[in-house]
Amino acid sequence: MKSKVLRDLLAKTPAESKIFVELYADIVVRVNQLIREKGYGSQKALAEKMGKKPSEISKWLSGNHNFTLRSLAKLTAELGEPVINVPKRHTFHLHSEKTVSMTVYRNEGAKATGAFRSAVSVSSPQSKSKVA
Amino acid sequence: MNNFVIEIWDDEGNACIFYTVRWEDAQYSETDKFFIKYGDDNHKYHKEARELAYLISEVIGNRYGAIDDFIDRVKNKGHALPPKPKKSIHEIESLGVHFPLRLYCYRINNKCLILFNGGIKDERTDQQSKDISAKFYDLQSFVNRIEDALRDGILVYNGKLQRRH
Repeated sequence: MKSKVLRDLLAKTPAESKIFVELYADIVVRVNQLIREKGYGSQKALAEKMGKKPSEISKWLSGNHNFTLRSLAKLTAELGEPVINVPKRHTFHLHSEKTVSMTVYRNEGAKATGAFRSAVSVSSPQSKSKVA
Repeated sequence: MNNFVIEIWDDEGNACIFYTVRWEDAQYSETDKFFIKYGDDNHKYHKEARELAYLISEVIGNRYGAIDDFIDRVKNKGHALPPKPKKSIHEIESLGVHFPLRLYCYRINNKCLILFNGGIKDERTDQQSKDISAKFYDLQSFVNRIEDALRDGILVYNGKLQRRH
């Protein structure tokens, strides 16, 4: 059972907010997981390892910068593994002359176990099917 | 402190069961009171309250459980949600350092969390914040009594929290 108050509140929560919270949580878990695996010890140690000047580190640690995609890119480069993945769609032709688009998702719902899951959705003009 | 009961707040997730406390003579639990107040359409922090509800119910409850990544804001004997800001990247800071609400909780383990009440944190410490200082002291009293009950075997956890008769 769920509290009725909670149920009502979740029903009123827009999809955008839910997606934001999910991304937030996935990134928190992913970054912490990589920091532990790579033996940095702390997030500050990670920032220092990234060769930033003290003032830059301070700015970095306070989050007062606008280059959010850049910060994710730097983090990914330093940690050596992806923090987030963007689904990629590939279109190719089959012998039957059908055109098939395939979207590949990685790191979807990474759990505390660190396990990766993959899901592939395949669609074509004739048939819309999904394989997971 | 009067008598209170511990009751299920949300046990539908795969990763964590949430309990809450309710004063014996009260209609709503302490956690429901929090979300009724701050989740109201007219409250200036209703968006934040809904994000917090979703973080608890879906992210912690259904996906990750009450792991250290989320339960990291220590409040004496208890904890508070949302988790601390992860300052290394800007994207994940907004639910931390800029988040105006705090909801108190007590972790039995990764699969069991007891939620209490909370409020607006607008000063450096919880005790200084007018809206939550009383709730902060309630938290300590609730946790003391729950820990006593667990230690004395009155309350037991065996996959679920149960009162031993």
